[in-house]
Amino acid sequence: MNNTLLSLTIAILFGIGTFLILRRDIVRVIIGLGVLSHAVNLLIVSAGVFSGTKVPIITDDGGHGAAEATGSIFTDSLSQGILAPIIEAGHHVDYVDPLVQALVLTAIVISLATTAFILILAYRIYEEYGTTDIRELRRLWG
Amino acid sequence: MNLSTHIPIILIATPILVAALMILLRKQPGIQKVLSVAVSFAMLILSIILLSQVWSGGIQAYEVGEWGKYGIILVADLLSSGMVVLTSFVSFLALIYSLDYIEKKSLSASYYPLFSLLVAGLNGSFLTGDIFNLFVFFELLLLSSCGLVIANEQGGVTKSSDKMEATFKYLVLNMLSSIVMLIAVSSLYATTGTLNMADISVKLSAMSAAGTLPWYVFAIALMFVVVFGNKAAIFPLHYWLPDVHPTAPSPISAMLSGVLIKVGAYGMLRVFFLIFIDTLDIFKPVIMYLALATIVVGAISAVAQTDVKRLLAYSSVSQIGYVFLGISFGSIYGITAALVYLVNHAVAKSMLFLTSGGIIHHAGTRDMRKMGGMVDSAPLMSLMFLVGAMSIAGMPPLGGFIAKLSLFDAGIGEQYYFAIGIALFFAIFTLFYMFRAMLLMFWGEKRDVEKYGEYSHHGTSVLMAVPIVVLALTVVAFGIYAEPLITLANATAHQILDPQPYIDAVLVRVVR
Repeated sequence: MNNTLLSLTIAILFGIGTFLILRRDIVRVIIGLGVLSHAVNLLIVSAGVFSGTKVPIITDDGGHGAAEATGSIFTDSLSQGILAPIIEAGHHVDYVDPLVQALVLTAIVISLATTAFILILAYRIYEEYGTTDIRELRRLWG
Repeated sequence: MNLSTHIPIILIATPILVAALMILLRKQPGIQKVLSVAVSFAMLILSIILLSQVWSGGIQAYEVGEWGKYGIILVADLLSSGMVVLTSFVSFLALIYSLDYIEKKSLSASYYPLFSLLVAGLNGSFLTGDIFNLFVFFELLLLSSCGLVIANEQGGVTKSSDKMEATFKYLVLNMLSSIVMLIAVSSLYATTGTLNMADISVKLSAMSAAGTLPWYVFAIALMFVVVFGNKAAIFPLHYWLPDVHPTAPSPISAMLSGVLIKVGAYGMLRVFFLIFIDTLDIFKPVIMYLALATIVVGAISAVAQTDVKRLLAYSSVSQIGYVFLGISFGSIYGITAALVYLVNHAVAKSMLFLTSGGIIHHAGTRDMRKMGGMVDSAPLMSLMFLVGAMSIAGMPPLGGFIAKLSLFDAGIGEQYYFAIGIALFFAIFTLFYMFRAMLLMFWGEKRDVEKYGEYSHHGTSVLMAVPIVVLALTVVAFGIYAEPLITLANATAHQILDPQPYIDAVLVRVVR
């Protein structure tokens, strides 16, 4: 149920973003890019390999207890054909996938930088051209 | 601590550190100048050392933070270290050139830090072995190159409103492509549970061997075609390039056309021949037809241009098509030819853009119709332009001839007669538009142009002439003594087509 709702949200956000970047107004294009990047952020979160509710801090020290604590295998064994990380069959995992959250943080920071840059650029374009209509930006055509 | 094992991380971390230092030192242009040139030269030496280490000692994998395959891994194989050498070489010369070319104020305030970041982004995307990290370095490249396109050159030949319009187009298209890349990366992660390229490769080939390769892997591969095609400006995605490359200052045009669009070709080689080997049967023809369309569109558009840098930019579009044509053959000889072509085009096209910078400063305009008779007033520039134009057009004895010869020979050996026919026909177009530019600019009567000669001290400035001459000598050397380059490209092609050593270098030793 949750996953269906999440997928629907992602789909709607992609739709809104695509609609907005096809507009003629520069500012709407930029807002559309922002909406699209948030849709992608949600998509990354939904792409987690395992999902649960617990914080992914494994308190069991020694490192070798990790497998018992999470039900996952973290060590490769190429001779046996085991390619980590693998969750044992039938084992329910209580932990959240920490990697996707790190990825989303990185993606958010990057989209912050690009959005800041493109907003300033849009302002300067408005100053130079006196319009935010993207069809008026045609001095380079030819 | 043995320094020589840490070269991959030094090549990425040093430019980032230098970029931060440059901002602090913006009141001392003298120190900035010495430091940036010294660091750039040190990077060139280090990258050559890295290439020789990889050549003699095999693939190097460097764990950042010792997290094994779960952390970020830098991998230096022949392809990555060769591309890093190319980057360092072109960026060192472009940096020396820009000392005299870029406006002083813009140089110390923003140019040095952004240039360092651009180099860091290039080195990072070539060296990383982690696909999300590749995305991060792509964004670093994108933002720093946007800033550099806006930087001012002396003489004010390009209006700043033109720069903004071009940058807006570039930024929007590349933000869209990075969104596509994120979708592809997260889908790959959801499929395989890892972001390490070697690990993804092992898992996808295990799935393929078990017959459970999901259908959406093909969709993910298509998304990567879009992403790298957008970076390299292949046919349906090339519209931003002829606006951005001419409006950038000439040393930045040289970096963009010489190295930055090659990132797309590198990504295609890395991702398709390492991760999506099983989808190659479907995507090879796709890439081939896109490459042919790129060659045709670029060559035809270049014929009609009157702006010298716009002509060179369309020529870049056409030439990257040849590189992708070689990649799409998928054979050892085809990839060897593509790599030789890539290196030759990088050197020759950077040289042409640097030369065009000298020319437009001499004439005070970018319009070729307003130039003429420059063979008398700027003899060095016209000689250098001749060398570059002949290399791009594929005339012996220059590097471009060897590249085109091996590419066509590979195609005929693989019996792609149709593709080679089109490529050969449009190689004649290359000859035509390059020599049309030569005739317009250097021969004929000297036109009466207002600014003619106002910036002539830039046309002959030593700092601007030396990089051009060095690049020209390299072009000639690649033509006359091509043996080492072809040997290196051949070994690289063997490594690309047999990814097992790469996978072993990353995975086998990092079991923790």
